[in-house]
Amino acid sequence: MKIIACYSNKGGVGKTATSVNLAHAYAAAGHSVLLCDLDPQGASGFYLRVKPSKKLTDATFFEDVARFTKSIRASDFEGLDVLPANMTFRDFDVFLSRMRNKRSRLKKALISAGSDYEVIILDCPPNFSTLSENIFKAADQIVVPVIPTTLSERSFDQLVGFFDTNKLSKKKLTAFFSMVQQRKTLHLETMDAMRKLYRKRFLHSSIPFAADIERMGQNRAPVSEFAPRSAASLAYQKLYDEMENGVVSKR
Amino acid sequence: MARVKNCFVIPGTFDEAGFTKSLKELALRFEAAESAGNFDILDCHDQSLRASVKILIQTDGSLFLLRGGRAETQRCKGKGKFVQELPDGPVKAGLAGFPKLRALMSVGTGRASHRSFAILGDLQKTQVRGTMMLMSSDQGQVTVVTVQHMRGYDRANKTVCEKLTKLEGGKSKAKPLFDWLFPDATIYKAKPEIRVSKQEPSIEVAADIIRTYLAVARQNEAGVIDDIDTEFLHDYRVSLRRVRSVISLFKGVLSPEQTTALKREFSGLMEPTGRARDLDVYLLEKDSYFNLIPSNLHEGAVAMFGQFEKERSQALGRLSRLFRTQNYDNQMKKLTELFADPTNLQPGPNADRPAYEYARALIWKRYRKTCKLARGITPNTPDEAVHNLRIDCKKLRYLMEFFAPLFDAKAFKTIIKPLKKLQDNLGLFNDFSVQQEALLSFVKQHTNMQGRADAQLALSVGGLISVLDQRQLAERDRVIASFKHFDSPDIRHLFRSLFHQKEG
Repeated sequence: MKIIACYSNKGGVGKTATSVNLAHAYAAAGHSVLLCDLDPQGASGFYLRVKPSKKLTDATFFEDVARFTKSIRASDFEGLDVLPANMTFRDFDVFLSRMRNKRSRLKKALISAGSDYEVIILDCPPNFSTLSENIFKAADQIVVPVIPTTLSERSFDQLVGFFDTNKLSKKKLTAFFSMVQQRKTLHLETMDAMRKLYRKRFLHSSIPFAADIERMGQNRAPVSEFAPRSAASLAYQKLYDEMENGVVSKR
Repeated sequence: MARVKNCFVIPGTFDEAGFTKSLKELALRFEAAESAGNFDILDCHDQSLRASVKILIQTDGSLFLLRGGRAETQRCKGKGKFVQELPDGPVKAGLAGFPKLRALMSVGTGRASHRSFAILGDLQKTQVRGTMMLMSSDQGQVTVVTVQHMRGYDRANKTVCEKLTKLEGGKSKAKPLFDWLFPDATIYKAKPEIRVSKQEPSIEVAADIIRTYLAVARQNEAGVIDDIDTEFLHDYRVSLRRVRSVISLFKGVLSPEQTTALKREFSGLMEPTGRARDLDVYLLEKDSYFNLIPSNLHEGAVAMFGQFEKERSQALGRLSRLFRTQNYDNQMKKLTELFADPTNLQPGPNADRPAYEYARALIWKRYRKTCKLARGITPNTPDEAVHNLRIDCKKLRYLMEFFAPLFDAKAFKTIIKPLKKLQDNLGLFNDFSVQQEALLSFVKQHTNMQGRADAQLALSVGGLISVLDQRQLAERDRVIASFKHFDSPDIRHLFRSLFHQKEG
């Protein structure tokens, strides 16, 4: 099982869109995927037409495996399930340790229900908190969307700084440029500069600024479902290919 | 991810409007794409799947197994294949227990059109997914609906399943899919039930049995011609052997002249089937032969089985050509006509004896004869006696089976069981001896003018014969042991009370 956290300490960088499209790409490639909505705004559930679970606000929730497994919902896409909720730090702590432990009741319940997830994608809230610290420790990979602007650059510096001071493994950090506008000189310059500064941290693939991504809110579906040939859809596919298979496309 | 699929069989076409209405707040939406093609219902000749309330459907390259309200699919073809040849998958797993010697064949065919559908809740979120297949034959229509449960949407799943159960029509659920599509199909039975009444004249019983088994034999001809599996020829031969045994065992029921003529005629029918069946048996046993000898002796056996395969296809070719001749068809038709009415037959002195009384006399006599022979068998008696015992047991068994409806079923079961065990041992004993002879004659055939045989072949055959001889010896001991069991006081008593004691 692999845990991928989709994280940014800055809001509005396309984090939820990345979580949803990436989760969809993993599922389309035949993996069984659980997308966990840890963001209190619950947007990834919204994109997949899954309503937030009422039960999750219940404090005793995680002591009851059956109720936890019950709050998972199948999405409209084969192999992609959603945990449509925001969790507290305590909940998440328990959740991850149980998902990691093959003999936990939770894991057994999931396996017997035929959902031994291969990939868990976490849509994280945009802040530094005990929850995010925990995510940094638990995740195998932390995917960070970065808009190539000065402010985002500053946020990414802060994130790397946070990793340094807390002695976290920076290798987990996988950044990519998001909402890129090729016409803007600032974008191109920032990308150049950051790629030089953080040579190993940035993926080659980037996601363009695209109306199709914004339209996810209207269509309430991953981009590749309603605009499969769009630049945005292809970009997410490349992002997946590079993350999963290390394939870098020339273009 | 393994997902549970429930399956519903709904007679006729699907009432879309009524179903949508019954769903209330949920909406039914069909996917645009629709595909149509042919379907085959697969089973073996005697429909063992149908008997176990399963149904296997093949539609363009996929197998679809329905059992107990569940559906399994697997992407592969099954027509003409044996279950053990199918690639591993849920359908193959669901077919466990299917007869190994029987191939899957089409027992019904028609057109099928497929549609996928989704049941949507609010937000247009899919809450239940499913497929619908409308199957049409010349005689009927049926809709097979599968429903896939989606995690977290239990309530919608429950609602949809309840509505579909209602459409299945409750009680009529007992009626299998096959019967909706092919209400007039005749189901093949290798051993059909034949009614016999106690006072029925014996000649009528004989005519009934012969007529029935002639029909069974004829039902196997097409399968032999198409070479679907080896059981067709086997059943064909067993049926004719039953006919022949009625003619020879029901002594005095037909006139001596007609008995002789019919014996000759049925032997004539059996004769061309013998070689093909023998070769079938060798080839079916191929794997076990290879297991009998070490792998460094396999080379000769490979060549030998190659030869067997060639010869088998020639023998079967000859037989199926014969089956297709007008002469053969005329002969079978004439025989069928002859036994259609007992008054066509020439009665012998026992023709009018009531069945019950006649059966008791016949079985008792045969039983005594069999026991007398068996009791004389010691480790030193020649093999010939054991072979004779096998034939006598077979005759006894046939007689008992023919007249079984006249006797207490429970008592019959009790005596047939040890007899069967004895017959199994005798059968193996016979197989081992026949196989040795066949192997020897095979080597002789492949020996050159100077009396030299191919070394590899001779090594393999030599190895096989020595193992078979050992087994035959061991089996002989088992025959004696099994007979002791059959000859126990309890069984003796039962025989006496069923077939010999005066009725109180």
